[in-house]
Amino acid sequence: MLGAAVGAAYAGISRPTRGAYVDDLMAAGALGVPLWGLVSVITFPLVSGQMPEWSAGQMRAHFPALVGWVLYGASLGLLAQGLSDIVDRVLGAEPARRASAPSVTKRIVILGGGFAGMRTAERLEVQLRANPSVSITLVSDTNALLFTPMLAEVAGSSLEPSHISTPLRSSLHRTEFIRGHAAEIDLEQRRVILGNGSADEGTGAPREIPYDHLVLALGSVSNYLGMANIEKLAFNFKSLLDAIRIRNHVIEMFERADRESNPSRRQALLTFVIAGGGFAGVELAGALNDFAHGILADYPNLHSEELRVVLVHSRNRILPELSESLGQYAQEKLEARGVRFRLGARLTDAQPGVVVLSDGEIRATTLVWTAGTAPNPLLNSLPVDKDKRGAVIVDGTLAVRGHSGLWALGDCAAVSDAKTGKMCPPTAQFALRQAEVLARNIHAQLEGRRTRTFHFDSLGALCVVGHQTACAELTVPFFRTRSMRFSGLLAWVMWRGIYLSKLPGIERKTRVLMDWTAELFFPRDIVQTIDLR
Amino acid sequence: MAALESSIRAAVGPGAAGSVWIEPLLGLGVGAVGGALGSALLTTSLAHGVLLGGLFGLAFGLFFAHRATSPGAGLMWGVGSALMLWVVIPAGILPMLAGPSRSMGMLSDARAQFPELVAYLLCLGMPVGVTLGIRGGLRTSAGQPQFRWGRAIVAGGLAGTLGGLIFGRWMSEGDFFPLVAGFGELHSRTANMTLHFGIALVIGATFGMLFQRDIRGYGSSMGWGLGYGIFWWFLGQLTLLPVAARIPLDWSAEHGSELFGALVGHILYGLILGVTYATLDRVWIRLFIQSDPLNREAEGPGIRFLRSLAWGALAGLVGGLISSPVMLATGILPKIAGLGSGFSSFAGLLIHLFISALIGMSYGLLFRNEASSLGLGVAWGWLFGLIWWYLGPMTFLPLMLTGVCDWSTDAASALLPSLMGHLIYGAVTALTFLLLERRYTRWLILDPRLAARELRRIRPVGTPAPPLWFFALGLGVLLPILLG
Repeated sequence: MLGAAVGAAYAGISRPTRGAYVDDLMAAGALGVPLWGLVSVITFPLVSGQMPEWSAGQMRAHFPALVGWVLYGASLGLLAQGLSDIVDRVLGAEPARRASAPSVTKRIVILGGGFAGMRTAERLEVQLRANPSVSITLVSDTNALLFTPMLAEVAGSSLEPSHISTPLRSSLHRTEFIRGHAAEIDLEQRRVILGNGSADEGTGAPREIPYDHLVLALGSVSNYLGMANIEKLAFNFKSLLDAIRIRNHVIEMFERADRESNPSRRQALLTFVIAGGGFAGVELAGALNDFAHGILADYPNLHSEELRVVLVHSRNRILPELSESLGQYAQEKLEARGVRFRLGARLTDAQPGVVVLSDGEIRATTLVWTAGTAPNPLLNSLPVDKDKRGAVIVDGTLAVRGHSGLWALGDCAAVSDAKTGKMCPPTAQFALRQAEVLARNIHAQLEGRRTRTFHFDSLGALCVVGHQTACAELTVPFFRTRSMRFSGLLAWVMWRGIYLSKLPGIERKTRVLMDWTAELFFPRDIVQTIDLR
Repeated sequence: MAALESSIRAAVGPGAAGSVWIEPLLGLGVGAVGGALGSALLTTSLAHGVLLGGLFGLAFGLFFAHRATSPGAGLMWGVGSALMLWVVIPAGILPMLAGPSRSMGMLSDARAQFPELVAYLLCLGMPVGVTLGIRGGLRTSAGQPQFRWGRAIVAGGLAGTLGGLIFGRWMSEGDFFPLVAGFGELHSRTANMTLHFGIALVIGATFGMLFQRDIRGYGSSMGWGLGYGIFWWFLGQLTLLPVAARIPLDWSAEHGSELFGALVGHILYGLILGVTYATLDRVWIRLFIQSDPLNREAEGPGIRFLRSLAWGALAGLVGGLISSPVMLATGILPKIAGLGSGFSSFAGLLIHLFISALIGMSYGLLFRNEASSLGLGVAWGWLFGLIWWYLGPMTFLPLMLTGVCDWSTDAASALLPSLMGHLIYGAVTALTFLLLERRYTRWLILDPRLAARELRRIRPVGTPAPPLWFFALGLGVLLPILLG
């Protein structure tokens, strides 16, 4: 019986290959050595009601059994192989397992490759594991996840652009990735129609992607409030290309100013206006201010008095997301480093070389818009409930009411917290948590389980305002209504530590860390990488 | 004849090419010469030696030659087959024929047959295996991984010297050089040291030349190092050094017992050689082969490294838990508790579990590319357990407790029962690691890039891993029993 049990176990764990007698002879012979220890030395005494003696003498007394087990193992290997070959010959060889194409019965399509879309795909991969009956498709107009908290450092030439972007294809394993944009969503037919893209991408028939579950994670776009001139002349600050353009434009302005003899025109060239005093505007103002002052050393004809970084904000204080004292601290620090503020002023128009405010004009050739965002315009065509921003209203489980299998999250969704009832802010912190709940809910629906509602207490916020200076307001753990405030070098170290840990992928972390280290010893690069003339 | 030839060809598989009679005849000739040499050295009947050697060579040529695709593979299959022959005939059938129920008598008989074991390995297994391996290498070079002489000699030589350096430094305080033990009374310390490093260099360089194609990662390299270390104890200590010193050959079990410390030294040297060779080899591969964008993999090595550490720690913890009753019963746990003063056995258990997790991490790092199935996992796990028996209670534990490692047969006898605990630990760790890994890869293999990587990890049938398991595991357990 023991022999049969061991033989069955051996057949179970070995891979029979036709004619491999000598391999089985040796492998099973080796198997006999530990089996001798397990069975003759340990199990037999225990079964017969005795404790093993655990002495060398006792083990040596079992030497004949050792020889026996090795001979048994070798015979077992030969016999198992022989029987396997006979069975093959009589019944025919076992058909090789073909990599059968998985029969997909459910299709999940995610639109958008930002924090919300990417995390949803990642969590779905974990939730669905090896279930080949469910396919996941992610459609994004960029092939990388942009780590937006570090975008200002790219514009300020502190970080290499690609170091803060993680390729979606490398990060996702079982998700089909399609680079493209959704031109239309047909809720009736449950399909997404992709746009043809640019002319050189071909003019074939638009691709249609059917879905059972559709996740809207389309994010937001800049909202110019209908001011066409500003939309035409201002730089956007949403994508990696925007940051690269801004950096190259700043260098271009320095090059032009260097050969400009007219003081007025030179002044306009060296004036950089940023509209919006939220996180993006303040961090960009700080980064551009540091960058512009830093590269002055390479332009001996230009002087720091000629350089102006102006932040325009419609309210009376910047950083409304943080407490007033931190907003005040940030403003003072930025002013001390040379940034000028026009608070309580609105942008009304822009002309080449002139930025028009509600209370005057600024002669400037550079304007960056960070003052407003709106949900992706594709949502306008969807017959679903939306809030006044145009964001899709979802219930507590992140499902769109009245449309089975339709979900939304992130900047393009109006999500209310299930516990507090408050609207969630359109930040990455919330988008990531929403993605986890949404992936879990889709999985629950697929398996017929109950879905859960979304609730998350903000962890706080951090903002860099200049060289080794930041401000932070972090929620006290377990006391969600109370927060701790930090500023200065400590907050800056926290900012770098926290965001470095959040940056996806160890490779990107290493590259960013190397960039930051190089910045301590070498000046920022002024090489123009794109031609903006 | 043609029908017989075709049936042999069918039996030996697709690896055979050309006339199937060349290998058996070559094996017959080399085996007969080896048998004659063995009988001369053992002063036994020449006819008996020639007949046995010829039959062994003929059988090897018929059934094993298609596996001997290189000198290294031939050597492993050769010594594995020779050990099997010894277990079957002198240690198995002959004592059984002599009479039943003679447990200690059978052990005595096996001890008395120890010279035959040495002769089988060195006069039959080695020459027949290497000769047919050379023939196989000339015959089947196409389709095999490319062999690089420079990489083999440089990495192997460096690894061998480094292994020798570590032990040379360590042992020179006591004027004991594991690779030339028993040879030192006749020469000065400088000569001993030179000889020690010379042998280390030769072993290392030949290791690279023989096993470059078979080694896939750190774990298998350590396994091959263990086997090669044992083999060199037979070849160097028991044979070449006495010949060089013009001392009569003594292959008796008693002389083997006297050189048991050198056996442990050879085993540890082999392990260091293996892991160092694998490290140098991996560095070579990383710098010159894997850095090539054409060879880039979907998942970077850093991610796999961290993941293997975590799985290894968890697997080691499970292995430590399951093996702890045996460790407690064999007195190893109280010894471990003695690492810190005043520890009870419970503290010993905690330290044991902590060490188990650490050793499990080493399994994750060293063997992550070896075991792709339950069978392979168990085999490598047992080898891993054996390795740690020689490293742990035989070497590190006494070193940490007393500052001196005791490699005597008495110490090995006292620790022999704990070998079972280590084998259980190795197998359980390997199986748990495999299950954790499968849980992860099961869904990852839906990604065709990762599925292709998993496919590459499967060790194909025909490599000399089975004889290595038999040789290393068999002699690694058998020698402490026989020589104690």
